[in-house]
Amino acid sequence: MSVKIEVGAGGIPHNQVLIYGLVGSLVLIYLTYLNTYFQTQYFAFFGGLAAIAALIWGTDTIKHLCSYGLGTGVPSAGMIALGSGVVAALFGATTGIFAPIVTIIIAAIIGAVAGLMANHVVRMDIPVMIVSLIELAIVGAMTVLGLATMACGTFEFLGMITGTVSFLGFTVQTYETSVIGGSIIAVIFMLGAIAIQHSFNACLGPGEQQDRTLMLAAECGFLSMIAVAIISFAFIGTYAAFIALVISIIGWLYTYTKYIALSKRDAYAWLDAQPIMEPKGGA
Amino acid sequence: MEEIVFGIGITALAGALATVAGAAEDTESDIGSQGDPNSQVQLAPQMGYIHRIFNKAVAGEPPAYGLWVALGAGLAWAFMAMQINPILAIVLGSALAVFVQGVYATTAYLGRTASLAKFGQPVYIDILKSMTTVTMAHAFVAIFTTVAMCHLMISALGHPFPLPLLGLVWGIALGAAGSATGNPFYGKERQYQEQAFGAGVPISASGNIVRYAEAGQRNSLDNGFFSAKLGGPASGICFGLIVFFELWRTVVFEELNIWGPIIVGVVVILLFAIIDRYIEVWARKNFGPYSAAPEEASS
Repeated sequence: MSVKIEVGAGGIPHNQVLIYGLVGSLVLIYLTYLNTYFQTQYFAFFGGLAAIAALIWGTDTIKHLCSYGLGTGVPSAGMIALGSGVVAALFGATTGIFAPIVTIIIAAIIGAVAGLMANHVVRMDIPVMIVSLIELAIVGAMTVLGLATMACGTFEFLGMITGTVSFLGFTVQTYETSVIGGSIIAVIFMLGAIAIQHSFNACLGPGEQQDRTLMLAAECGFLSMIAVAIISFAFIGTYAAFIALVISIIGWLYTYTKYIALSKRDAYAWLDAQPIMEPKGGA
Repeated sequence: MEEIVFGIGITALAGALATVAGAAEDTESDIGSQGDPNSQVQLAPQMGYIHRIFNKAVAGEPPAYGLWVALGAGLAWAFMAMQINPILAIVLGSALAVFVQGVYATTAYLGRTASLAKFGQPVYIDILKSMTTVTMAHAFVAIFTTVAMCHLMISALGHPFPLPLLGLVWGIALGAAGSATGNPFYGKERQYQEQAFGAGVPISASGNIVRYAEAGQRNSLDNGFFSAKLGGPASGICFGLIVFFELWRTVVFEELNIWGPIIVGVVVILLFAIIDRYIEVWARKNFGPYSAAPEEASS
């Protein structure tokens, strides 16, 4: 039986979230270019923050799209977002300093094709489908690019396919120990795909509140950042990775406690070890 | 010849690890009412049935386990790249992946339950405290064994994929095996003990899940106990056989002909289809007729 998805009304308008998410993620991902400029790796964590900005926007898009009654479609929306996004991000990464902008353009094209297919070939006929899939593809692409940048310190393709391995005291460059060669990109793909759909999937229902859902999106983003920060110890300098880890943990702790407080605010009751409270009219 | 014997030994070990993984995975997901049973647990309060069952809907099991295992494998890969011993690396990677799983489980329960405030479903904090830890323990077993199995495939059988990619593939397979094999025991039978056996779920019975136990009120630990008895071992056998046959056909028949493993794979699938069909017909004949509900519920 398909359960009707209800979403809460009110909150920040979607277009405003879209602009904040798009501009925020673009600016934050360009801040990682300071790494190349100053020849260091300390600014890698901005990639993770760019992914969080994109995830918050993507969560609001999924909420927008899935209010058309796509119950089991919520996780699928995350998969198609990251599936389109990873292609765009890898293509975009080959264009040097223009990588984030090219990524957005390519992702928009892929999303538009997917949306046209869904509406006109599969005949889903959902009014916001094309726009939503364009947005989701861009979100997915920025998430992949952001987290991959955080792992290896640069959004340029060469940095993603070269890793170093020390052998008998010599440092050798290899493909096998890189972000793409070691398939860390697969981990980033799954981290992004689950993070993007989880917030709305977890908060859907008649009592859904936008601030709680978006806080959960930020929490999922910081949680993904923690995982990527630990992985980044294998690619970038210890201090740079450590800074990223500390920032992720602080952000995660803040958003997690905030999210619990918001859940407490919205819950019917907050009980510890109490029996079932049967409703007054009886079941 | 010696190489083949060694390969079969690794295959058997990988199959054994997969069996443990399948059993742990199904028990974990049933304690969290993930996958198949979830829609009814989610629906129950809307129909007036307030319950004390853990509702952790992270995603379907295949994507969720795709993430947990890929993450465990990715972290283990990174630790190995930092020259940490593989066993320790796999343990650390799995432990960190379980931390992520636990956080996702708590946020899913809090979010879903808080959004049901309109129907009077309270958040039971003791459920969160007692059941999240149990699911995390089971998830650790499932993730550790699967990542260890993937590491065996690479280091002993020379699989060309990097560890995280293999983890993603086998994680999705693990979730799919548990979701397809084990969950129906809980989702289609145990939640509906108040209905006649085999009656299906008519719309009028939607959300009327069993909420009271033999003594007191049922919580998800009772479902874990039940899953460990039937659904878990069934999922374990399923995933164990998938891994065993998958490796066995390659290890044994690749020497003969490059097409050998593919032909054997098709034969194995056909054989299992015949066995499954036989069991299904036998069960229908022996356990009473199946009466389809007028409007088949699709979830």
